[in-house]
Amino acid sequence: MSDEELAKDLGLVSAMTIGIGTMIGAGIFVLPGVAVNADGGAGPIVVVSFVVGGVIAMVNALSVSELGTAMPKAGGGYYYINKSLGPMFGSIAGMGDWMGLAFASAFYCIGFGQYLAVFVGLPTIPGLNAIQVGALVAGAIFIGVNYIGAKETGGIQTVIVGLLLSILAVFAVAGFFSFDYATLAGNEGGLAPGGYGAILPGTALVFVSFLGYAKIATVAEELKNPGRNLPIAIIGSVGIVTVIYAVLVTTMLGVVPWPELSQDAPVAQAARVAFPESIGPLTGVAGAAAAVMTVGALLATASSANASILASARINFAMGRDKIVTNWLNEIHPNYATPYRSILVTGGLIVVFIALLGRDIEILSKAASVLHLIVYALMNVGLIVFREADVPEYDPDFTVPFYPLTPILGAVLSLGLVAFMDGIEIALSGAFVVAAVAWYFVYARDKTDNQGVLSEHIRSREAELPDQVVGAADAVAPNGSGDDGPTIMVAVSNPRTESALITLAGAIAQHEGGRVLATHIVTVPDQTSLETAAENRSGLDQSSEELLAAAASDAEAFDVPIETKTILSHRGIEEVFDAARSNDADTVVMGYGGTRFAGGRVEGSLDELAHDLPCDFLVLDGQQLDLSDVLVPTAGGPSSDLSAEVAKALRDTVGIDVSLLYVADSGEEESGREFLSGWADGHGLDDATLRIETGDVEETIGRLGEEYDLVIVGATERGLLSRIVRGSLAFETIETLDTPVLLSERPSSRSLWERLFGGR
Amino acid sequence: MTSSDETDGQDLLGHVLLPVAHEEDALATARALEPYDPEHVTALHVVEKGEGVPDKTPVEQSEELAAESYAAVRTVFPDADDHTAYARDIVGAIFDAADEVDASAVAYRSRGGNRLMQFLSGDISLKMVTNAPLPVISLPQVDDEE
Repeated sequence: MSDEELAKDLGLVSAMTIGIGTMIGAGIFVLPGVAVNADGGAGPIVVVSFVVGGVIAMVNALSVSELGTAMPKAGGGYYYINKSLGPMFGSIAGMGDWMGLAFASAFYCIGFGQYLAVFVGLPTIPGLNAIQVGALVAGAIFIGVNYIGAKETGGIQTVIVGLLLSILAVFAVAGFFSFDYATLAGNEGGLAPGGYGAILPGTALVFVSFLGYAKIATVAEELKNPGRNLPIAIIGSVGIVTVIYAVLVTTMLGVVPWPELSQDAPVAQAARVAFPESIGPLTGVAGAAAAVMTVGALLATASSANASILASARINFAMGRDKIVTNWLNEIHPNYATPYRSILVTGGLIVVFIALLGRDIEILSKAASVLHLIVYALMNVGLIVFREADVPEYDPDFTVPFYPLTPILGAVLSLGLVAFMDGIEIALSGAFVVAAVAWYFVYARDKTDNQGVLSEHIRSREAELPDQVVGAADAVAPNGSGDDGPTIMVAVSNPRTESALITLAGAIAQHEGGRVLATHIVTVPDQTSLETAAENRSGLDQSSEELLAAAASDAEAFDVPIETKTILSHRGIEEVFDAARSNDADTVVMGYGGTRFAGGRVEGSLDELAHDLPCDFLVLDGQQLDLSDVLVPTAGGPSSDLSAEVAKALRDTVGIDVSLLYVADSGEEESGREFLSGWADGHGLDDATLRIETGDVEETIGRLGEEYDLVIVGATERGLLSRIVRGSLAFETIETLDTPVLLSERPSSRSLWERLFGGR
Repeated sequence: MTSSDETDGQDLLGHVLLPVAHEEDALATARALEPYDPEHVTALHVVEKGEGVPDKTPVEQSEELAAESYAAVRTVFPDADDHTAYARDIVGAIFDAADEVDASAVAYRSRGGNRLMQFLSGDISLKMVTNAPLPVISLPQVDDEE
């Protein structure tokens, strides 16, 4: 716990600095000149293009904030998409983010080269112009700095950004005094010589100036109080930057007539005009101002490139963790403690992009934007999936306003802006998406194991959704080693029930092609520290080992891999929940006694806990299992789906007979039979004996249950487990039944459709 | 832990704090210390923080690195404790940790590197020996790496 806190050292100002420092870079210092002259002259209307870019960035910033507060993890956009939409989209997002950053870094380097050329004469090399040479030198320096990890302190970074903002503010003030509306609007064609249709293509070109706010999310885990600081930093930095851009571009165009604006170093040019040649005795003020602006531009582009190279290493790390790329990339340098391979590979890409595409800055900037926009669009879709799939772990501190409008708008705007790019960038990115998908199928699919919330959501609702949808989800699902099938976690605590629990788990695991994880959770009194308990564990170890060894040998009856684990904890049942979460269990099998070992302690939080099941739960009341037939009472619902799966697994592996029971109101036996046979068909249990009875439900189950070896009861409503745990469940008939009872509960969630269209 | 509160201040190797950087370094450092048979060892990994700028590596990766390093130390000293510190000032964090775990000495192994690189990445050896509030043992370089 305290370690987590210690790792957080970025405050709000630092976070804002990262966002603003990354965004203010080559975009604003280079592109205004290109944009106003694009396509025969878009003119002063590009101010609107910048503002529109800011609006699009803001909508996405809201979504990034929500995702970032829900999952403060290294990797940012890639991580959210991989987690929600699965590894195929994860591959697209990861590669997109990575390449997008490489393109952006190449773009920043070119911008650096353009301003460097103002200061020093750069040589040309055959095949490369002077700016490219400058850009390559700059790129090499940025890569080298990141490679050895020589880092500026947080203070210096803040000072640099502060300095930058002051330089720009002074420029804006000076520009205000020499601003001439006639200069802005008085050129041929007025404010919009290219027509208003030039706005969006302009936005497409300059959107690269807004890349950077999402970088804050990639370091979310290092932020202090991320629930508050992350949204403020992301949204705030986009807001501030948008205003700065609008003011700066307007000033530039009010100082220098747009047709004359430099395509290489417009800010330096505008500064030269905006500042008077002399103030009092001081001469050469204009030239000095231009020089200061040039230094500002160099600082700005350098910090953008630096941040982007570092961010790409984060994405590589996150992708390596999910095995989408090889972890070889993420090896840490023994002396510099930097992810040097990742930095070198990214650096190589940057160098190639500068050398091959650096002549046309538009291609670099747009390629960076397109790739980022694809990632943003997927991220918005991912947000919707997280919300709709009702994932228990998804609990953001910040939520987007006007859901679901905001993420839908974010996705539409992002993809819509892509349409305003030129053919070559769209083709480049299309090829890129194809390559990422190919990469997934050729390389990553066999290695990664996280299938994503969407695909889990679809595959868990196989029965309700059209075959094509489920088929599609299956077709792209990963088949990495970790996903051979579900993990069935057994919480064993009592040698007498161990065998019965393992039998159930083994049958399910064999049927689903999964594995069994047998855990023995040893509750240690609060007074005893876990360390002391661990030291005195020889006696404990023995009993624990015996228990788990028995579990392993029982599991041998089934053809499934089994793992065993002893967990020391102060908590009882809560630890079961934690272990289920941390081991990614799909089903937990435990004994009824086990649910009670929490005693009466911490009821409130426990109740909440049990309301938020991490996975399917099966609780067995009974000690021995000698299975030949089971009774499954059902009235539909997600938990009885789980009952049906268990019954089917037992039928197929142990060879039991399944009877289904529906208790109908008297006089409605016919519709009851119809329901039950439909239900049996829908759950692959069409060979089951169907029993329709009338009367009191519990009494009927109690009466008929005597005839069977096991009764599987699905929770009819949410929270069954929590009531067992608290011991408040009036389920006496069943408790007094001699036949073992298996209670099943599946965490319920409303379907995507129901939530979107408000059915229910 | 209960052991060394009563260190009499004379036993240099009563409780040795062993700063380690990564798995290989941890193994080499632990092996270098092994012949001197310290009574108790606490392995320390300092996660280098940016304090205002993002770290060089993601937190999760830093923590993995720490865990691997501790495991390597434990192959030599099975009972070694571990301690993770987070700081920008590595040397300061080492001495803070020494204070916190009540160590009798700090044992470390210089990781070499040429002058320029030591300058650029901060010469830790120099700072270790010039600012020490407790005994600092510089372990000999043993060449047992493959």
